[in-house]
Amino acid sequence: MLLLLVGHLAMALAAPALVGWLGRRAFLVLALAPASAAVWALTQTAAVLHGTASGAVPTQVVEWVPTLHLELAFRLDTLSWLMLLIVGGVGALVLVYSSAYFSASAFGLGRFGAALVAFAGSMVGLVTTDNTLMLYVFWELTTVFSYLLIGHYADRKASRRGAMQAIVVTTAGGLAMLVGMILLGRAAGTFRLSELVARPPSGPVVAVAVVLILAGAVSKSALVPLHFWLPAAMAAPTPVSAYLHAAAMVKAGIYLIARFAPGYSTLVPWQVVVLTLGSGTFLLGGYRALRQHDLKLILAFGTVSQLGLLVLLVGLGTRAAALAGLALLGAHAMFKAAMFLVVGVVDAATGTRDMRRLSGVGRELPVTALAGVLATASMIGLPPFAGYVAKEAALDAVRHDASGWRGGFLLVVVAAGSALTVAYGLRLLWGAFATKRRVIPAALAVDVTRPSLVLVWPALALAVLGLAVALVPGFGSDLLAPYANTYPVGGVGHLALWAGVTPTLAITAAVLAVGLVLFALRERVELWQADRHVSLEADRVYRRMMRRLDDVAAHVTAVTQRGSLPLYLGLVLAVFVVAAGGAAIVGTSWPTSVRAWDRPAQVVFGAVTIGAAILTARARRRLKAVILLGISGYGVAALYLVHGAPDLALTQVLAETVTLVVFVLVLRRLPPYFSDRPLAASRWVRLAVGLASGLTVAGLALVVPGARIRPPVSAGFAAEAVAYGGGTNIVNVTLVDIRAWDTLGEISVLLVAATGVASLVFLRRRTGAIFRAGEATPHGRPVWGGLPDPAGALRLHGTADAPASAMPSPAPTARPLRSAVWLRAVPTLAPHRRSVIFEVVTRLLFHTMILYSVYLLVAGHNAPGGGFAAGLVTAIALILRYLAGGRYELGEAAPVQPGLLLGGGLVLAAGVGIVGLLAGGAPLQSVIVDLHVPVVGTIHLVTSVFFDMGVYLVVVGLVLDVLRSLGAEVDRQAEAEAEAEAGPAGVPR
Amino acid sequence: MTSMTWLVPLPVVLPLFGAGLALALYRSPRAQRAISVVTLTLVLAASATMLAVVDRGPLVLSIGGWAPPIGIDLVADRLSVLMLSVSSAVTLCVLLYSLAQGEADGDEEAPVAIYHPTYLVLAAGVADAFLSGDLFNLYVGFEILLAASFVLLTLGGTGARIRAGTIYVVVALLSSVLFLVALALTYAAAGTVNLAQLAQRLPEIDPGVRLVLQILLLLAFGIKAAIFPLSAWLPDSYPTAPAPVTAVFAGLLTKVGVYAILRTQTLLFPGGRADAVLMWAALATMLIGILGAVAQNDIKRLLSFTLVSHIGFMLFGIALSSEAGMAAAIFYVVHHITVQTALFLVVGLIERRGGTTSLDRLGGLAKLSPVLAVLYFVPAMNLAGVPPLSGFLGKIGLIQAGVDRGTPLAYVLVGGSVLTSLLTLYALIKAWNKAFWQTPPAGLPTDRHRTRLPFGMVGSAAALVVLGLSLTVVAGPLYGYADRTAVSLRARTPYIDAVLPDGVRGLGRPAPVGPVAGATP
Repeated sequence: MLLLLVGHLAMALAAPALVGWLGRRAFLVLALAPASAAVWALTQTAAVLHGTASGAVPTQVVEWVPTLHLELAFRLDTLSWLMLLIVGGVGALVLVYSSAYFSASAFGLGRFGAALVAFAGSMVGLVTTDNTLMLYVFWELTTVFSYLLIGHYADRKASRRGAMQAIVVTTAGGLAMLVGMILLGRAAGTFRLSELVARPPSGPVVAVAVVLILAGAVSKSALVPLHFWLPAAMAAPTPVSAYLHAAAMVKAGIYLIARFAPGYSTLVPWQVVVLTLGSGTFLLGGYRALRQHDLKLILAFGTVSQLGLLVLLVGLGTRAAALAGLALLGAHAMFKAAMFLVVGVVDAATGTRDMRRLSGVGRELPVTALAGVLATASMIGLPPFAGYVAKEAALDAVRHDASGWRGGFLLVVVAAGSALTVAYGLRLLWGAFATKRRVIPAALAVDVTRPSLVLVWPALALAVLGLAVALVPGFGSDLLAPYANTYPVGGVGHLALWAGVTPTLAITAAVLAVGLVLFALRERVELWQADRHVSLEADRVYRRMMRRLDDVAAHVTAVTQRGSLPLYLGLVLAVFVVAAGGAAIVGTSWPTSVRAWDRPAQVVFGAVTIGAAILTARARRRLKAVILLGISGYGVAALYLVHGAPDLALTQVLAETVTLVVFVLVLRRLPPYFSDRPLAASRWVRLAVGLASGLTVAGLALVVPGARIRPPVSAGFAAEAVAYGGGTNIVNVTLVDIRAWDTLGEISVLLVAATGVASLVFLRRRTGAIFRAGEATPHGRPVWGGLPDPAGALRLHGTADAPASAMPSPAPTARPLRSAVWLRAVPTLAPHRRSVIFEVVTRLLFHTMILYSVYLLVAGHNAPGGGFAAGLVTAIALILRYLAGGRYELGEAAPVQPGLLLGGGLVLAAGVGIVGLLAGGAPLQSVIVDLHVPVVGTIHLVTSVFFDMGVYLVVVGLVLDVLRSLGAEVDRQAEAEAEAEAGPAGVPR
Repeated sequence: MTSMTWLVPLPVVLPLFGAGLALALYRSPRAQRAISVVTLTLVLAASATMLAVVDRGPLVLSIGGWAPPIGIDLVADRLSVLMLSVSSAVTLCVLLYSLAQGEADGDEEAPVAIYHPTYLVLAAGVADAFLSGDLFNLYVGFEILLAASFVLLTLGGTGARIRAGTIYVVVALLSSVLFLVALALTYAAAGTVNLAQLAQRLPEIDPGVRLVLQILLLLAFGIKAAIFPLSAWLPDSYPTAPAPVTAVFAGLLTKVGVYAILRTQTLLFPGGRADAVLMWAALATMLIGILGAVAQNDIKRLLSFTLVSHIGFMLFGIALSSEAGMAAAIFYVVHHITVQTALFLVVGLIERRGGTTSLDRLGGLAKLSPVLAVLYFVPAMNLAGVPPLSGFLGKIGLIQAGVDRGTPLAYVLVGGSVLTSLLTLYALIKAWNKAFWQTPPAGLPTDRHRTRLPFGMVGSAAALVVLGLSLTVVAGPLYGYADRTAVSLRARTPYIDAVLPDGVRGLGRPAPVGPVAGATP
């Protein structure tokens, strides 16, 4: 059986290529796939017949996901055999039909063929699998392929809408079924269908499970109230309707019910669902079919109706009804598929399916009409057709149903529904083929073109088959009875063409008579129905629901997705306060004694830090906020120092300084004040959230440390840092050795941050050119010349020619000699921006600072310092050069692309890690080497210093990158803007 | 220690090395490309190799030879390596996609020079988060990937990206602060940040404090994983980035948060005290997320919402606190990384072909580009949980686990997850109906040859789609692997014993005894 599926899959995958090669004739090849399924089923007939009685039917099991109880388990009993014949046989015929139905130049035939074959394969799997989860797998696959098939004419809105409706409704039911199957499987401890039916579990869960499973059947088989998707799905090409919506897919629900009925039909919820929905659907479908004018819609509602009857019969639980149901299942597949194909022929021949425009078609298309007549005869239950045999058996079974009112009710329903069937069947036949001179003027009637014979013979074959089968009812009885016998209640009935003069025969006669009357009064029935147009049509309810869903979705999203950052932050903080703070208040105890401080200095620095932080939040001026934030940071550094952590303090001070400078560089391009003042109300909310968050953190910091009962791991650091790290500065050994992995990560963060900032400023290029003093154009504008600088006058100590205003001055005409300046690129500055004292100080300090940073780098292992601090000192030295001499001075100080420093640093640091690995040790493993150098003495070298150099390079690279982007490049852009504003003549406005 | 331990640090250290190299070689785009591709291929090879090795037991590597809990250790157990393998496969595919895109558009379109180093750093951060056996280093891993994501998100610096980036960066920084607070408090309470030692020590401390720590960590990771109500930042920030960036973010970043939740909840906080809360959060995440998707008219935003929504599935599995639930969650993570990334890549192709991601201005793509149709339809159905694709397998795993739990809340969650599946299907089908089926609106380029999609982009997207399909094929072994992962996660001892074999100190250099002589400066 797996082989059949593989065959279908291969055929489906090959379909586009085949169609590309053979055109529409490829469908004849594709038909081989379902045909093979039907043929295989026929070859297994004997095994199935004998097996169903003895329990040894053909099976096949292949493991898939054992953990989930998913297995490719297949089992071919009578029911599966019957379904397989239908699925394979009708599938093959429909594919043959398709080869003539579409025009040779139609678009998307490859896709269509692939989907149709894949659908057939899914159906084959569905009806043969013995695992409930696999059943769901195939079930959903049929849904998805049917979606693609219904939407074949994708440019038509009706197609798209019908396809979507079908997939949403059937998937909804399918998912319910899945949950039901899992509930059932978990309750029974098995997911094998055969075992579930043979040994049904019990309990309230089972009842729920069964209802959920039935929901799947209801949606798939288009039972009331989910029937509406089927008429909408008639937007599909006719072969699809014939196959999916008559023979195969809608039968999946019937199959499911028939499959579970032997084990579960005695449950009360089962009976309630099957009886009400089955009979409701049977009647409603027939009733609605009487009002349609589109031939396909008549068939669609007729199908809905018949599906209701089928559900009733196979779900009732008695053996006789089951036998009738199985017979009707087969009969319906034949006559309904044939009818769809016939309507397709009419449609193809006339270009319309509207019975109000068709007249005289029967005369033009006698063979088609013959097929139609035969199929209709079977449908309305005329002897000697299969439909008649099945319906007789059904009436008989219902009549013999012993359980009182139920039997009577059912008999009425079945009889009434059958009468409706007769009526719409005749109306359909009349509408399609009759010559309606009285009703339709000849001018309105459409022209008829004679279709290809390939279109007609599949329909005729199916219709004739309906006659042929009925002639050997005993054989059918023998074939189907074994499965009917697995049902729990009653005696097995029999199928017969002639059962003698019984009450059933009388009922049949009455049914036919009422049907004829209804047909004769068809116009009045139509009008009557039109008058009683019910507003509660399921289709509209569905649409209203979906619209409602869209509305709710839009509404909910509008509430939760405001796009407001303050709101998101507030929400996060509120959750934090409520969850963490709440848990702390409820579940933890306040420490009994709190030591407020160790040294009074801590109070002072703490107060400064807090005070500055509060003022920062209150500040309206950006510069003020930045400076206050800096004070807060220095305060923290002081706290570190008082706490005995000079290393941290040093690093904090340096980092704070660099941050301050960078902020100020950015602020040059921002308005001086924060723009919008928040509304008063939201301000209080913000204040509350902020306070609550701060208090929560503080409270947690007080409460949580009290829980410690073990010594911290850092207790061992002191000894190990010396023993293995070779250094006495624990902080540095931790950074570059014990936790060097963290440091490696953090320097990569620095690298990314630097390049990221630069990328936002430079946008397209990685980085700008390096501004060298020698390249400064003598006639260009001086650096910082055009920017307003209110404080400029304060700095004008050494230059005489200070203009009173911030007016840009012309470029210096002659560049001073190099010996005359302290810093090489200073001449590029606008004269009023120069400060000789600053230049001298910078000149004196720069090299000292560089030397100091080298010292920090080398000494860091044993004294305060290390690569990070050293890098920051170098960085501050560079900042000095930039501030004193502008961007050309920066270029002179560091004529190197920061990318090289950053990249080189990371390569060095990560390289140390890789070298450690290559040497057979752990990454970043340090080695202590004592080198004896003659003059200097013994050098105590720890290899982690190379790692530290990497850190150093990255830090320098970071600051250089930031200076070059936020400093130098922003300067250049600002000056270019100023120049553009000033106009080509260089005259300020 | 087996001889394969040397593989463990490679997924972190190779990309970092490559990033440095790529940045230093910023002048040569060709060299950068080669470095990225080679690096990530090596990482994938290392991860895939470890996949089989760690099935026999975790690999522990002490960085620098420092024995845990003193130093940092990397732990490659089943969970880490599984996540690592999927993520490196996805990262490589996305890289190839973006290379093809760069080739097609010319390098002027994007600042490729920093794209490569940043992308590699991102990969290193993700790998570090998966491998780290140390809570602080986990934080560092998060920082690495976040810093890289900031840069990638604002690549090109357009107004929309900066605006979206602002929300993303600020929320991410807040989550980092929360993580840091949690970290400090954890150290304050337990005196260690080594995960294995925390697993030993946390059960000893006051349960009230333990709950506070649990909540804090959940909050920090919850923001990253985008769990409602901490999820609103995601749909506002992801869709504006370039397609490959969104794809890799969607695939990996939230999953790192999910991984962190999974790891810490099982290893540090067994006992399931937060289960009920997590279940409600999972339900809300699923439903509100998917309603968001239903309401969207832009396919990129739509997918961002499905991303949030399906985080709820994984959280559901975790909150079930059972082997079956964890196994399903783990399988679902693997599935979701693959499928969500694939979909975003395909959306990049749609945008390229149709010029927009707005569903109102797309149409007829099924006819115009059948390949694109297949590439969208398969992963879309996969995401919607249509069988037999991997999304379905994860889903039935979750439902089975939920039914096994059997509490009313678990049943509610089962119902919620089924409803979410249906709505996911609805949202994706709606998008299909519009983008692929409806009549193309005027203005859509229809000339077949002029708008040919670059082969490299299609190929790498297709590779991911196929990877998603292959999850179905290998579902048996893969689900078994996930199941074994869940069992060892719940048992906790395999992890703890591997890191701290004698219960106190791990392998590496032994603790020094007494004062150490001869090591003075």
